[in-house]
Amino acid sequence: MSNTLQAGALPPTRTPTLSADTLLSVRNLQTHFFSREGAVKAVDGVSFDIKPGEILGIAGESGCGKSVTSQSIMRILPKNGKIVGGEILFNHANQTIDLATTEPEGRLMRAIRGKEIAMIFQEPMTAFSPVYTIGNQIIETIRIHQPVSKGEAREQAIEMLHRVGMPNPGRNIDQYTFNLSGGMRQRAMVALALSCRPKLLIADEPTTAVDVTIQAQILKLLREIQADLGMAIIMITHDLGVIAELTERVMIMYLGKEVEYGTVADLFHRPQHPYTRGLLASIPKMEPGRVAINPIEGSVPSPYAMPAGCKFHPRCPDFIAGVCERHDPPLTEIAPGHQVSCYLYGGWEVQP
Amino acid sequence: MLFFIVRRLLLMVPTLIIISIVGFVIIQAPPGDFVSSYIAGLEAQGDLVDPELMDSLRARYGLGEPVYAQYWRWVSSFAQGNLGYSMSLRQPVTEIIQERLASSVTISLFSLILVYLIGLPIGILSATKQYTAVDYAFTVIGFLGVATPSFLLALVGLWLMFLWTGNAALGLYSAEFQNAPFSLAKVLDLLRHIWLPALIVGTAGTAELIRTMRANLLDELPKQYVTMARARGVGPIKLLYKYPLRIAINPVISTIGYTLPALVEGELLVSLVLGLPTLAPILLRSLLLQDMFLATSIIMVLAILVVIGTLLSDILLAIVDPRIRGSI
Repeated sequence: MSNTLQAGALPPTRTPTLSADTLLSVRNLQTHFFSREGAVKAVDGVSFDIKPGEILGIAGESGCGKSVTSQSIMRILPKNGKIVGGEILFNHANQTIDLATTEPEGRLMRAIRGKEIAMIFQEPMTAFSPVYTIGNQIIETIRIHQPVSKGEAREQAIEMLHRVGMPNPGRNIDQYTFNLSGGMRQRAMVALALSCRPKLLIADEPTTAVDVTIQAQILKLLREIQADLGMAIIMITHDLGVIAELTERVMIMYLGKEVEYGTVADLFHRPQHPYTRGLLASIPKMEPGRVAINPIEGSVPSPYAMPAGCKFHPRCPDFIAGVCERHDPPLTEIAPGHQVSCYLYGGWEVQP
Repeated sequence: MLFFIVRRLLLMVPTLIIISIVGFVIIQAPPGDFVSSYIAGLEAQGDLVDPELMDSLRARYGLGEPVYAQYWRWVSSFAQGNLGYSMSLRQPVTEIIQERLASSVTISLFSLILVYLIGLPIGILSATKQYTAVDYAFTVIGFLGVATPSFLLALVGLWLMFLWTGNAALGLYSAEFQNAPFSLAKVLDLLRHIWLPALIVGTAGTAELIRTMRANLLDELPKQYVTMARARGVGPIKLLYKYPLRIAINPVISTIGYTLPALVEGELLVSLVLGLPTLAPILLRSLLLQDMFLATSIIMVLAILVVIGTLLSDILLAIVDPRIRGSI
């Protein structure tokens, strides 16, 4: 990466410096959507850090803001979405830059997308344009980010297809997505995202649209590739099974807020927030004699009629009257590395 | 691919045979024939007609024979390139079509080019600037274009030209080039004249193309491969042209073949109003006078053009879309 490229796009001095062992630091991120009906606070003050090579899970129901968080990091929000506050600090070429204030279509952001941070999506069929070969699109990505010839890029693309376990990379590279089976499409999509060996991969529900066999294959593939290339992964999913299988630390989100954050062991064995406990209780158990599912009462409120105070209070079984509907609980550390935003566990001392 | 083209060329034969039968039968369907309408014309002027002359005329053109015999007589000579003799213009049909077809095709091709030159960029602009003043303005213009009949536009065009130049006889060439041999000056003169009829003929097509292009592109823009391309660092220009546009334009390419008959049809009315020397006025006249050789021949020539146009657009579509290429 040349210096001239960064000099122009870097925001003025105030950007804090990240330590070398932090790859990405999202601090109090607020992303809102604006429409005729009003503003929707899709992400409302989310913070987390990722170290190089770490796997973080972000889990929550549909509409909790987990995808919007990833779109904010990549700066590929829809037109009516806007980052209105917070910082997205990223270590890029020995410098800390704030992605939240970087021009979304500028050269710096485009140099980071695909090269430093890559993304995979739900539908493998539609990750590739059907009218170009998968090789065309992988080679394109490589040549956007690296000064290599077409031949070299092709070699690299074949190598990457080989790495993701495509059966016949030399032939697959000239195929179209409609020539490939479901599992191969997923692998091709992973190869496309990883073609420039990014430092961070954001996987936005990559297993939602596929059957369980392929889901297992993808998780295995991601784990292998992660070990192989040493990249960090943000795994976004509503499937706690995927979280348990792949990630080390987890953030649970509800209506744009972070409700609980901790290791997988913390969350699964010592869940604290009533929402986390509700999510875990709603997973069907395979124990004999017990088939009942305990869903969380009520449903997600309309984004235009958000409850005051703690956003979960209308559905909360442990609701404290007179407190929860008035104040928004801050994120409080209850054990080293385990944070919860709930008045059941304190948080009074910082209340105004 | 070659097999596909050969197969399609072979399929054209039965298609054209069916069109020739249908065309011939429909033109034969009204009561009477050319001789009787010719006589009606003479009688209307007060002339007396000798019944023997009528019979000898009928015998000469084979008008007394059953329909299938007449069809066979016409179609077999058509296949040999002899299009028969126009009874009303007293001229071989081949000559008439040769004279007129060039003007018709020139106008249609120019309109086709104008339709795409104007329609595509506006459609793309409308889609990328959805719900802005630009988009609304072109949407209104587009609806007006679709809703205004071309003959009305032709009348308005004629009137405006008369206001500006004092000359209502448009034609395709200035008087001095009318019979001049082909030259650069003649082509330039043609360009000076043809834009108005081409624009009028193409208005409805342009408006439709704007609507189609806008809708297709709006369908493609939110698709995941576009987001994925953006997330890979693809620049804004490729993000529009290489990805969504490439797919949004496929239906447009596949309908080039169907645009052609619409243009021919539009050209018919417009040419009548503007008095252009194309096939259209002759076709109308031959239908009115029941000059069946002329009428069926013109219809056949137009049908052949349409069938070829459809084939060309199918081949084009196979070239641009690998999904179709793979399945033929």
